Amino acid sequence: MRHTKYLLFILAATLLSAAAYADDVTFHASAPAQVVVGTPFQLSYTVNQRGKDFRAPEIDGFDVLAGPYTSQSSSTQFINGKRTSSFQLTYTYTLMAQREGSFTIPPASITVGHESYNSNGLKITVLPPDEQPQTGGNTSQQAGQASARQGNPSQPTGSDKDIFVRTLVSKTKVYEQECIVLSYKLYTLVDVAQLTNNTKIPEFSGFVKQELDLGQVQTNLEHYDGRNYQTAVIYQTLLYPQHSGDIKIEPAAFEAIVRVRNRSQVRSIFDDFFDTYSNVSRQLGAPGVTVHVSALPSGRPAGFSGGVGQLKLNSSISQTELQTNEAVTLKIDISGTGNLKMLKTPQVEWPEGFEAYDPKVQNNFKTSAGGMSGSKSIEYLAIPRASGTYTIPSVQYSYFDPQSGTYKSLSTPEYTLTIAKGEGAAETVVQNYVDKENIKQLGQDIRHIYTGELEEAQPDKVKFGTLAFWLCYLIPLLIALTCFIILRKYFKDNADLSRSRYRKAGKVAQKRLKTARAMLAKNDRAQFYEEIERAVLTYLSDRLSIPTAELNKDNIDQLLRSRKVDERNIQQLHDLLSRTEFARYAPAQSDHDMQDVYNETADILSNLNI
Amino acid sequence: MKRLITNILTLVLCLTAFAQTPFERANEQYTQGNYDEAVELYIAQLSDTTVTLSDRSKAYVLYNLGDAYFRQNELAKSILSYERALRLAPDFDLARQNLEFAQSRIVDNIEDKSNFFLRQWINNFRHLLTTGTWMWLSIALFVLALTTLLVFFFAPSDIARKLGFHTAWVALLLSVVTLAFAARSHSEQTDRSQAIVTQGIVNVKSSPDRSGTDLFVIHEGTKVQITDRVGEWLEIHVGDNIGWLRADYVEVI
Repeated sequence: MRHTKYLLFILAATLLSAAAYADDVTFHASAPAQVVVGTPFQLSYTVNQRGKDFRAPEIDGFDVLAGPYTSQSSSTQFINGKRTSSFQLTYTYTLMAQREGSFTIPPASITVGHESYNSNGLKITVLPPDEQPQTGGNTSQQAGQASARQGNPSQPTGSDKDIFVRTLVSKTKVYEQECIVLSYKLYTLVDVAQLTNNTKIPEFSGFVKQELDLGQVQTNLEHYDGRNYQTAVIYQTLLYPQHSGDIKIEPAAFEAIVRVRNRSQVRSIFDDFFDTYSNVSRQLGAPGVTVHVSALPSGRPAGFSGGVGQLKLNSSISQTELQTNEAVTLKIDISGTGNLKMLKTPQVEWPEGFEAYDPKVQNNFKTSAGGMSGSKSIEYLAIPRASGTYTIPSVQYSYFDPQSGTYKSLSTPEYTLTIAKGEGAAETVVQNYVDKENIKQLGQDIRHIYTGELEEAQPDKVKFGTLAFWLCYLIPLLIALTCFIILRKYFKDNADLSRSRYRKAGKVAQKRLKTARAMLAKNDRAQFYEEIERAVLTYLSDRLSIPTAELNKDNIDQLLRSRKVDERNIQQLHDLLSRTEFARYAPAQSDHDMQDVYNETADILSNLNI
Repeated sequence: MKRLITNILTLVLCLTAFAQTPFERANEQYTQGNYDEAVELYIAQLSDTTVTLSDRSKAYVLYNLGDAYFRQNELAKSILSYERALRLAPDFDLARQNLEFAQSRIVDNIEDKSNFFLRQWINNFRHLLTTGTWMWLSIALFVLALTTLLVFFFAPSDIARKLGFHTAWVALLLSVVTLAFAARSHSEQTDRSQAIVTQGIVNVKSSPDRSGTDLFVIHEGTKVQITDRVGEWLEIHVGDNIGWLRADYVEVI
């Protein structure tokens, strides 16, 4: 059986690697990880020292067809005079699975010297048998087809079910920047001699790709589509979608060299014993796939790092109490899985007075089939130039978690630094030249709502256009009119009185003069002068519209001058008034002719043109 | 017993309602970003018949309502609220600013024909004070004019008479101007001829008829002047364009 050959090869390889262990006792169990129901396989326990009392575990779910067989091998080597020897004792069972499923074979034990050792346990997956068991007839039919095509060796041999490549994508619905694993897996029922370099891997446009180093190709047995295939991952890469939408991955192409058994037309008796094989090239196509990439949801937090995955943030500070001009280092570690290469370096807002240097970034990323994991550590170095207590604000860092479909925020704690004055060196003044500028308009938005108190309406308020409103004009107008009428009447009455007095002034003066004349005849000096004075003053009072009591020489002069009375007449009036005054208060000395005074008064009163 | 409990519950509810007016609760919701609730509460405050708010307070509520609508991206409703707030308080600067900001977001760019700078200045000046203030100012100036007129008539000295005369005519003139301002503001407030388009896109027809020719298209938030009404249809002026549209596509300010 072809399978068995393969298995034996694997077994041998495992045994050899087990033998490479040093003198310590190793007790190792080995069996293929996948077996098929009804197909015998070998379970072997290997110990590298001479042991006894081997106790096999209870093997459930498998029929023990044969065993245990023991086999020993020992070898001694001299390399450059150094002797190395190895010993191997193997217990082998031949088992056959009864039913499909997953089975565990518990550890076996063995005693070496006086100590008991346990082997490792094994996990064996039992696959269902092929749906169409390869009966002899079937095989010969396929072989016949193969031989029929022999004339054209470039023609692929066997059907597409024998050997093909599948495209496996870990997810087909992802967010932008979320990692997916794409693998090309070879499924084969035939022997593959090698895969040539003649492969065509698509360009993966729309993705950032990171190829995974597969190392030694691991083969497995896998039940697929009713058949048990030998499988191997032949190409694996991590893909990070760079934009949203449906991104198509083009089909890939591989070339495999397949060993095909020859059947010569002429049958010889050796044919059944010595098959000959020829290598045939097979073109294998892997189908393309479409990945649905959805954009990251809206509402990105302010400090969004561009990270998609699961991240953790750690920070530490070298010291919190230091002196001026002494360096302080803040270290931020971002670790986790996701598109770590795309992560932005967080910004640390150093307080004023700190001289900050460019951060030192160290990436330690590992890529595996699980995605990219690792850490990014950033060291921020700053030197305080001024003493005091300062706070380094918390650094906000957020990423998108595709598992929960939300943005998550991380933050470092705040650090408070106490800076003492450094010895010796004078405190350097850190000068900060700030360019003056107007208030920068960052964005426009509506003004915020009004949050004050509301007040109730005053019910009796005068409203525009109402009667009350017009009354506000009408009432003052009426008041003003009334005032106008009253005032006018008052002023008019006043004016009438003074006018009548003005008109009668001459007559009144003449009357007084008549009385004076009578006094003159009686030669009553005192009475005469009094009458004369009163005649003049009453006349002036009536004509100038001011009360007699308020008359004196000064205001008489002023008023007369303002009425453009001749200066000579004013002087005359003055003389007359002072003479009568003098005569009244010093009657004895007055020798003036009363007749002259009388004539003069009459003259003045007629000449005074007011 | 049941009734008693219900009564107590109602009382408690009333008390809590008194403790915080719908307006205050709305402001709280707004600050927390719950704009739907805020809008509902502002509307509840406006339609609350138990409290008669002063015009200015109503303008405040409308202004906040406009803000909440704006946050909900209801541009037309927000413009409508700001316009209504300005109707009640023409000197409400914040509402005017927000209105202008909201108007900058609408699609239609209508050339305002009244954009002559002098007119603009006068309007801006008029909007510095409310109708009531202009009204009282006019009355005060009228009284001043009357008083100084009396001084002019009856003052004994020439200077007082001259001063009285000039003050009187200046005051009378200003009184008339302020009265005109008050009248203009008042008519603006009671004007029902302007409306805001609430529909996203409206085809304006040539006649008040569904089958009329489409003349032009206006968008949400545009202010139109209503000039005529035929049944369900309104004749509107937008800039230089005249046409008919259905009344339920617009809301009168």
